[in-house]
This record gives sequence, structure tokens and C-alpha cells, in this order.
Amino acid sequence: MAESSRFAAWRPLRGPVSGLAAVLLFFSIAEFFHEYHKSQQPFSQFASNYSSRFLTARNARTVLIQTATVAAAALGMTWIIISGGIDLSAGSALALAATVLAWMLHANYSGWAAVAACLCVGTAAGFFNGWLVSTLRLVPFIVTLGSMTIYLGLAKWIAGETTISPASEKIPAWLTLLVANPPRPSWLIVAPAVWLVLLLAIGLSILLRHTRLGRHTIAIGSNERAAWLSGIRIPRAKIAIYSLAGCLIGVAGMLQFTRLSSGNPTSGTGMELKMIASVVVGGASLQGGRGSLAGTLLGSLIIASISSGCTQLELKNPIQDMLIGAIIIGAVLIDRSRQ
Amino acid sequence: MNRNSGTFFFRVPRLFHLGVLGLLLSIGCADSAPHNGASSSSSNGSTARRKLVVAMVPKATTHEFWKSVRAGAVRGSKAADVELLWKGPLSENDREGQINVVQDFITRRVDGICLAPLDSRALVSVVQEAKGEKIPTLVFDSGLDDTSEIVSTVATDNFHGGEIAAREMGRLLEGKGNVLVLRYTPGSESTNQREDGFLHVLRGEFPEIAIVSEDEYAGATAESALDKSQQLLVKYGDKVQGIFTPCEHVTLGMLRALQERELAGKIKFLGFDSSPRLVDALRAGTVHGLVLQDPVRMAELAVITLAAHLRGEKVESRIATGESLVTRENMDSQAMQRLLKPETYED
Repeated sequence: MAESSRFAAWRPLRGPVSGLAAVLLFFSIAEFFHEYHKSQQPFSQFASNYSSRFLTARNARTVLIQTATVAAAALGMTWIIISGGIDLSAGSALALAATVLAWMLHANYSGWAAVAACLCVGTAAGFFNGWLVSTLRLVPFIVTLGSMTIYLGLAKWIAGETTISPASEKIPAWLTLLVANPPRPSWLIVAPAVWLVLLLAIGLSILLRHTRLGRHTIAIGSNERAAWLSGIRIPRAKIAIYSLAGCLIGVAGMLQFTRLSSGNPTSGTGMELKMIASVVVGGASLQGGRGSLAGTLLGSLIIASISSGCTQLELKNPIQDMLIGAIIIGAVLIDRSRQ
Repeated sequence: MNRNSGTFFFRVPRLFHLGVLGLLLSIGCADSAPHNGASSSSSNGSTARRKLVVAMVPKATTHEFWKSVRAGAVRGSKAADVELLWKGPLSENDREGQINVVQDFITRRVDGICLAPLDSRALVSVVQEAKGEKIPTLVFDSGLDDTSEIVSTVATDNFHGGEIAAREMGRLLEGKGNVLVLRYTPGSESTNQREDGFLHVLRGEFPEIAIVSEDEYAGATAESALDKSQQLLVKYGDKVQGIFTPCEHVTLGMLRALQERELAGKIKFLGFDSSPRLVDALRAGTVHGLVLQDPVRMAELAVITLAAHLRGEKVESRIATGESLVTRENMDSQAMQRLLKPETYED
């Protein structure tokens, strides 16, 4: 009995796990035949010398770093989507946080102060969204569509409509080590940023299952009216949810800055869609009430693996675009048919 | 019907469980594979004479300019006998996307990378990463802040382009008069070089030419360039004899403003870069000269230079790809037609 219930907890992850496996399998097989076709060697000779580039430790490390920024923000997006909301402003809020971080470093503030400001800006952006959604009782889609442009404008204003590139000696070493590839020290196996995202996901999963805010989030997403009738203070919960997601956007902003070493107001444009795609491919329902943080991590990995695989296979950008779109639709279809 | 499709989708994931197992196994094996692969490819006689693989990463893939770059790269790859891979970021101005593409090429273990960096700072760390994996990078089109890790920079000498324009301006005005420069935007390296080269020669070689305005910026769009040009012409329209603009859309904006005030053709007007509308203006005599870059030659030189480096030859750390002035008189010559209508890559 205990066995089966423990197994049941993994059930929702079956979709994303098999999805990731399918993507990896597809690209490794495709790479094999692609290289075989190019090599013009007899099959047996080719096969005995063949070593995949797609399925290597190096590629795993690289794909994990490439997905860390989107994954961190997508964790917050998962909470919002579980609560039945959506955040279209996440991309530009991310760029705003990164721009503030760059600006602080450029203006000679210490690294810790700059990172703290970056997290605060992210949280404040989320708080503002949550406040508008709960006090004005507007649809999150519209509220965040508006705040998306507000944050973009704010970031442009701070950056003086250009890119802020703090001198490299002003960027603290521990910030750049976050995304070092290969990681230093090497016993970390993957970059510290990846561990950070993993720890955040574990922490948030525990919060979601075992705290009042977590259970309220699921309750609001499942049936807002029922949640209200059972005495949940919905406005307060919503502000907390959007602020929490905002804090994660701040983390993502920090990761983006460390990868780019510069802050650009438009560097988050379109990223909100990547986050939402990760959440949806990870098995969450846009109707609310259902979703998991582990699923979201897998979802973002699936999308990053496709990008990596397309480069290994020398597929053109238009094909890569269409492939990612098809995967998103396919994931939702498979998910729905399982209910 | 509904049930059928339900069971269909339900069965697929089950099949994948086997796939997951197989994959975990293969990932375990692959972890040790790269070392074997590297040693076998260097010792194996048949793979030793395999073609060099060069990856080219442009800033974008959907502009005419980059199609010309690609055409040049294909020429270069044929001349140097290398295999060319071509991939840019999915969306324009996506710095992170460009970093990802370079990382994926490192993973793919190409022999060398030609990169047109979207940002002179953001791409530095990934170039270092490539060097750490023993893959050399050559930078073309735009510079990189840290040149210590790269093979060479192959780009237009923008300062020299500005100097060419200034000498032509001096010749057109016969060494005296008032000149105005409308700059592009602060912090844009390439156009700053053009403006500075122009001003440097004008000040140094033509003492009787006065510069009436040189600190106005046109901004990023043709519209903002038009607004700024109109304001400048209201102020200086009847005083200046010469105007220089450092890039295509600023030239277009200024041309519109000159036409509105019926000054087009009367004021000597030089620009940088071309477009079909500017070619028409050149023929009509409303633009007196354009400094042209050579994207085809630039990409060709980039690939050839990188291939030479990979074969152990010594290469220059900076290679200029030629800047030339097109005027109404020489615009129909074969050399100028090649630059005004550069070949583009077709699949």
C-alpha cells in the first residue's frame, strides 16, 4: 500500500520524463545516421569508430547551463500557473532585474548589494503584479500584458536606452563562477547555477506540498470560489504567490547577467513564452490546480535539448522553430489524453 | 473513438520506459567516450585527412547583409577546402541565443569558429570557453573587448572609411566651407569610428573647413533620424555646404529632410552604407557619395584566415576588408556594382 502511494507521487512526471527520453533518443539516433551519411564509410567501420557528441558529459553540462536562466524563472511561473494565473511580464521583469544588477555594479556598488537589489527588483515586480491582480480584480493576462511594457520601459530608462557593460574588474569573481563551463572546482560536475536551480526546485516543491501558502495555491487554482468559501484570504495569497515568483525572476535575472556580463533592457523579450512553454511541457495545466516543479525543470530541459540537438544535426533555424512549436502542442495533446 | 485515442497515447509512454533505461545506459557509456573518440581520430589514418570543419555564427540570419556574408563564407570555404557550418541565433539581438549556438558548436567539436559578436562584452566568456576546449575563434564584422583569446579580427576599417569620406568632402568643397555631422547613437563602436575618422581628417587636412555641429545623435530608427535632421536643417540649413552621416538609416533620414526643404543636391552630402533608395539618390545627384563595405569579401577572408591558422600558418591579428567610395561617376563600374548589389546566398 505504502509502495504504491509512493509510486503515485511520480506519476505526473511520467509524461515529461518520457518526453525528455524521446527527445534524447531521437537526436542520438538522428545524429548517428547523420554522421554515418556524411562519413561515407562502410557501416561496420563507421559504427566501431563512432562516438556521439550529443550524448556526452560536456553536452549535458552545456545544456544544463543554457537552461538554468529560463528554468529558474519558470519555477516561479509554475506557482503562478498552478494558482490559475499567468505572468506575461516575467521576461521583461527578468531583463529589468539584470539591468539593475549591471547598473549597480557599474556604479561601484559591491557585488552583494547589487545581487540583493536584483532580487528585490524581481520581487517588487512580482508584488506589483499580484497587487494589481488582487485589488483591481483584473485578469492576470491583461495586468501582466501591461506591466510587461512598464518593466521594459523602466529598464530602458535605467539603462539610458543602451547596454550597460560594467568593467570586468567590477564584476565579482563568485558571480562569474556561477556559470563557469566546465565548473571550477571541477568536483561540482555541473556549474553552481545548475545546483542553485535544483536546490530552489526542491525547496519550492516542499513549500508547495507542505505549507499553507502551497496548499492555498493549489486550492485557488483548482476552484477559486470554493477556496474563497472555505475561508482562504485570496488577495493575500495571490500577492504572496506573485512576489515569490518575482523573487525567482530576480534569481533568473542574476543568472542571465552572469552569462552576458552586461545588462540589456530587451534581453528578456520573448523569454516569458519560453518559461510558459517549459511549464506546460512539464505537465502543468493552464486551467490551474495542477503542475509540478520537477516537471517544469524537465520541460525546460526538453526545449534546451532540442536547440542543442538541432545544432548538432545542422538543422536550420526555421526547422528548429517549427520543431519546438510542434513539441509544445504535442506535449499538451498527450497530457490531455491521459486525463 | 475517445477511448481508442486514449489508449493509444497511454501506451506510448510505457514503451518509453524501455527507452529511458536504454538512454541511462548509453549516457553512462558516453561519459567516457569523448576521450576514446579524440584519440582514435588523431591516430586513425583514414580520419586524419578529413576536411576541417569551420562554424560561422552571424549576428542574425534574416537580413540581406547576412545573406551576402554567407555567400562570401561559401566562397571562402571552397577556396580553403573546409566544410562550412552556418547557424545564427533564433531571434535578432538575442545575446544569450548566440552564446548558446557557440557552445553547441564547441560541443560538436568543430575545428574553428568564425563569430560576428552581437555584443563586444557578452561573447568574451564563451570565446574563452572555446579556447579552453582547444577550438580557436576568429571574430569578424564587429570587435570583441578582449582580443587576447582570438585568432584575428576581420572587419571593415571604419575609421579609414570615415577618412575616405572626409577627403572626398574636402575635394567637393574645394577646401573651404561649413560642414555638419549627424552622429548615429552613443556607444556604437563602428559608427563612432566612422564619425571620428571623418572629423580627424577634416580637422587635420582642411583648416579652412569649419565643423558647425558634430554632437547631435540621430537615434536608432529612420524616423528619429528624420526628426533630428529636420531640427538641424532648420538651425543650419542656410549655413552649411556639406553633410556627413555614418550609416544607412541616418543617411535616409537626412535625405528626406533635405528633400523637404528643397536643399537636396545643393548641399554636398556623403553617407556610409547603401540601399536601393540611396543608389537611386546617388544617380539623381542628391547624394554625392557613399562609403561601401564588402560583406562578401569580409566573410571570405574570415574563413580563409581561420583555415590558414588551423593549418599552422601565422595570420595578422587585424585584417581590414576594404572600404571604397562610390560616386555618381564610378557607380556603374563593375567593381562598384559588385558592392552595390552584393551576391547573396541562395539555398
